[in-house]
Amino acid sequence: MAKLILLWLKCVVLWATVEAVFEDQVGKFDWRQQYVGKVRFSHFDTHVQSSKKVLVATERNVFAALNTRTGELFWRHVDKTGSEGNIDALLQHGQDAVLVVGNGRLLRSWEINVGGLNWEVVLDSGSFQSACLVGQQDMVKHVAVLKKTAISVHYLSNGHQKWIENLPETETVDYQAVYSDGNGEVYVLGVVPHSHITIVVYSMEDGEIIKQMSVEAPWLSNIQASCVVVGQGMLTCVDSAGVSFYMLDLHLQLQMTQVPLQSLALEVDPGFHPVLLSHQPNLARQPLSEFFLQLGPDHYQLLQLNNGQIAAMRDFKPALLVSFATTGEKTVAAVMSPKNKTACSVNLFSAETGRRLLDTTLIVNMDPNGGKPEKLYVQAFLKKDDSVGYRAMVQTEDHTLTFIQQPGRVMWTREEALSDVVTMEMVDLPLTGTQAELEGEFGKKADGLMSMVMKRLSSQLILLQAWIGHLWKLFYDARKPRSQVKNDVTIENLSRDEFNLQKMMVMVTASGKLFGIDSKTGGILWRHYLDNVPPNAAFKLMVQRTTAHFPHPPQCTLLIKDKDTGLATLHVFNPIFGKKSHVTPPALPQPILQSLMLPLMDQDYAKVLLLVDDQYKVSAFPSTKNVLQQLQEMAASIFFYLVDSSQGRLSGFRLRTDLSTEQIWEVIIPPEVQKIVSVKGKRPNEHVHSQGRVMGDRSVLYKYLNPNLLAVVTESTDLHQERSFIGILLIDGVTGRIIHEAVQRKARGPVHVVHSENWVVYEYWSTKSRRNEFSVIELYEGMELYNSTVFSSLDRPHAPQVLQQSYIFPSSISTMEATLTEKGITSRHLLIGLPSGGILSLPKMFLDPRRPEIVSEQSREENLIPYAPELLIRTEWFINYNQTVSRVRGIYTAPSGLESTCLVVAYGLDIYQTRVYPSKQFDVLKDDYDYMLISSVLFALFFATMISKRLAEVKLLNRAWR
Amino acid sequence: MSLYEVPSSLSLTTALFTVITLQLIFLQAALVVAWCFTDIETGPGAGVSTQPNGDRFKIEGRAIVPGIKTQDWVSTARVLVEGEEYVGFLRTDGSFAVNDVPSGSYVVEVVTPTYRFEPVRVDITTKGKMRARLVNYIKTSEVIRQPYPLQIRASGPHSYFMKRETWGWTDFLMNPMVMMMVLPLLIIVLLPKVVNTNDPEMRKEMEQSMNMLNPNPELPDVSELMTKLFSGSKGSSKAGSSSKGTRPAAKRR
Repeated sequence: MAKLILLWLKCVVLWATVEAVFEDQVGKFDWRQQYVGKVRFSHFDTHVQSSKKVLVATERNVFAALNTRTGELFWRHVDKTGSEGNIDALLQHGQDAVLVVGNGRLLRSWEINVGGLNWEVVLDSGSFQSACLVGQQDMVKHVAVLKKTAISVHYLSNGHQKWIENLPETETVDYQAVYSDGNGEVYVLGVVPHSHITIVVYSMEDGEIIKQMSVEAPWLSNIQASCVVVGQGMLTCVDSAGVSFYMLDLHLQLQMTQVPLQSLALEVDPGFHPVLLSHQPNLARQPLSEFFLQLGPDHYQLLQLNNGQIAAMRDFKPALLVSFATTGEKTVAAVMSPKNKTACSVNLFSAETGRRLLDTTLIVNMDPNGGKPEKLYVQAFLKKDDSVGYRAMVQTEDHTLTFIQQPGRVMWTREEALSDVVTMEMVDLPLTGTQAELEGEFGKKADGLMSMVMKRLSSQLILLQAWIGHLWKLFYDARKPRSQVKNDVTIENLSRDEFNLQKMMVMVTASGKLFGIDSKTGGILWRHYLDNVPPNAAFKLMVQRTTAHFPHPPQCTLLIKDKDTGLATLHVFNPIFGKKSHVTPPALPQPILQSLMLPLMDQDYAKVLLLVDDQYKVSAFPSTKNVLQQLQEMAASIFFYLVDSSQGRLSGFRLRTDLSTEQIWEVIIPPEVQKIVSVKGKRPNEHVHSQGRVMGDRSVLYKYLNPNLLAVVTESTDLHQERSFIGILLIDGVTGRIIHEAVQRKARGPVHVVHSENWVVYEYWSTKSRRNEFSVIELYEGMELYNSTVFSSLDRPHAPQVLQQSYIFPSSISTMEATLTEKGITSRHLLIGLPSGGILSLPKMFLDPRRPEIVSEQSREENLIPYAPELLIRTEWFINYNQTVSRVRGIYTAPSGLESTCLVVAYGLDIYQTRVYPSKQFDVLKDDYDYMLISSVLFALFFATMISKRLAEVKLLNRAWR
Repeated sequence: MSLYEVPSSLSLTTALFTVITLQLIFLQAALVVAWCFTDIETGPGAGVSTQPNGDRFKIEGRAIVPGIKTQDWVSTARVLVEGEEYVGFLRTDGSFAVNDVPSGSYVVEVVTPTYRFEPVRVDITTKGKMRARLVNYIKTSEVIRQPYPLQIRASGPHSYFMKRETWGWTDFLMNPMVMMMVLPLLIIVLLPKVVNTNDPEMRKEMEQSMNMLNPNPELPDVSELMTKLFSGSKGSSKAGSSSKGTRPAAKRR
């Protein structure tokens, strides 16, 4: 036993030295970008004049502080996904930020300088309505949280509850807002829709009801949408139907006074619901008496409340966005208005007078491939001469944040759409112009000896010229200090490197924005916002033509499918430049069930995309005559499958020559018992180098390499701990033959599956032992291969041998993928995304069902590691060392031009790109290769031979004299 | 080939997932109660949680990194309960509380990119009784008590990197291959210098000792070989390897 352990340890040590990052490689091949998601709330930290923080709370349940100078993160806190981590409100006071989380379940206070938690309290159940900070005598010490049925007040210092009171008449009244202006009273505003407003006034001290009033308001349905408090406690509402203001003094509460908008010479755009915007610069004091009224999509009006009278101050049309900002005692209004097609301008206006402030224009250039501006956040500050300066943060529809300084210098841009990458592809970069010229020489038809020679000479000349240029650049750069030498990658100088290690990452985000990112530096080379994407769309990205077919441009096709209707659209674009292709995609009037890329190519080298609609009709894109002819010829060998998880049906179809389809098999998995969770095929670009494994006795165990094999994962509908199970079905996608079926009892999902070569690895939760377990299935043909030249699903009489083994894994996992290399010679690793943010590279060798329990001579010969029930997580195996990736959603692997190297991109909230070498770098010199040593040894040997030669001569001479 | 029906069902599973956990909790809770009965000695850590919040409880504890100020690392730390099922954050003093956890058995981990913390298993009964024990995935029912409220001490920084193999003269010289090559060379070069082979007495003595070593006169090979070798090396040492001898020779010419 001790021997066993020793051997096992040896193996572990041996393997530990194989895969790890060296400290000096940090940042050499890898980069990470951290995101926060679409911003929901944002506050500039103003309690210190020189503060560089802006706090953001986002729709992806992230609370973070950004550096306003660089746009980088100071700190970031990632909460649970889903509604339980949802941020309902963000209130800031001094260096504390108070968050209401999870529909009013938790109240948290953060220390914004350190980024640590001050306190966290659990609130009573009830759905959250509103929250506000409560001030008293110019001091803010409490926070009030309004729920559907109760209001509670907490101390800001420790979160303890000061008092909680149930609201009166909660059956009828819908309480929606809470307001305080620092006079020791808390106002709770509720509404009975289309009847009246209820106002309850609580004493700050003990929560006693001071006053309770109801005021007739038959026109009002939602307070938060149409009312604000302005000036000295004047509740001001706007009614779109009655086209008038209603005002109510919260302190007096007599009656609502109606002021028709016409009396102020204001007109609301037809069909637009007017919106009010007020500003409370100091939470312990009253709000400003100036406020904005939005009358149309691009029409704002600044108004002032003066002694109970509303006066119009200034009209802004066209104006896209408005915002208030306060610095010191001064409050300004920022108005963004369109300048021309590609730019907007922001101007500051004094809130008190409505006058435009001089020299406050700021130009915002709009990206033609981006979205419209959506929100404007203004950071105002006092300059030395006491005038107001400002910076603006603009949020656009495509979730981009741009921070701009006067007069229009963009300080930073954050593409928050990248926090939600759905799918991606890596595309080879094109050849440079000169390389393409050389390639072109071989492609063209020969036209005479002389011209060929001339062409050859000219291309050699071009090469020489490029080489001299390169040398000159090297020489020129060498004289400059290293920090100044910048290799800026732009779209113009993009070209493939020697080993094809640099690629274009095409990323599709849930918001519908597409990005082209350089894999070497992480720089965004192009972006394209698709503004007609439905909010719950499913995406599938396909490369139809690679860069290998010069002069035809590469072509990617994005299938966007509305999950509700099933209707799909195609977006065809050039993956290198992001431009929409001139190829018009076909209109798809029917819902699409399945799409498949065929290895067929049309005369322009574009792969054929087949789309199957809900009538089981097939359409091809591109659908030229050539393609249709090829399809007819190939039809007998084109099969596809469909999955209907709601009915538990898997069915296989065959293409007929007239492009109709025929069902050839069907597997029903009873949906009452179990449901299909995922179906995984193999990756089409995967190569398997060796057909079999050499055993200890020198015989060969052949792998079962069925390219049509599907791994179907099912979960039981019975979720009882004792009875729940997960199932794995291996089905041949052509014939529908069930190759293998495995059931894991007392287990439940989520199940993560990787299917590659002749193995399937899956991970599940064992309910019996409360731990995560890995299981591996390997398929072998046996000692003899049935037909070694070609694999056909239709002619495979022998069922494969199935081996299976399971292991304990000491962590839950987020996602899993296998490495992929050019020719499949390199051994495989599994890349496992962990909730802690690490990406573990686990050698497939550890997940091998042939790992023996008892070591024999043969298993040692085969280099099999003895079986150990627990797989270890070693931090040395983390390919991303301390660069954690939050909420890993997917890991994308792509082969590079080097067989040893696999490119890896992990995406989730963050994006991380690196290279892995599963079998070390066997085909290139290591980056720590000691050139000094080898050259000094060479020189030493050289001189030694020189000297010994001379000595030998002398000796010979001496002997001759003797 | 991928399918569009599958993702929609996946979202369904996540919805159902919460249901599973809820159902599980009851059973696990029963289990935990059973343990508590068998485990008579209740440690000092076990106490009824003061959170009267329905069936939801609070896991409390403190994480400590010896010698490092808490401000320097708390902003990057999180407390993960059973993967990312429940998430807690660290206060500025290093203490933490994960709220809203139903009864059951959970693995609690403090996660930072810089420091390593050992995970702890926390069992919560339906009545809110807590206990902490070492995580053992193989023997899942084994109980080795840990203090509760949790005291999790960092066991040092994570080691992410491998050390580069540095090249040194000592490594080179101590290499067995090099030793094997260098030592015989030294013997060949140095021995003739130490032992003066020109001295006839010495030579006689050596021959004697050689004869003593192999008394069989039938095998004179070795001594012959030795003398041949020594005479040869003598010559070479005179002409080749020692530069002292050659320089005057060059001058003479």
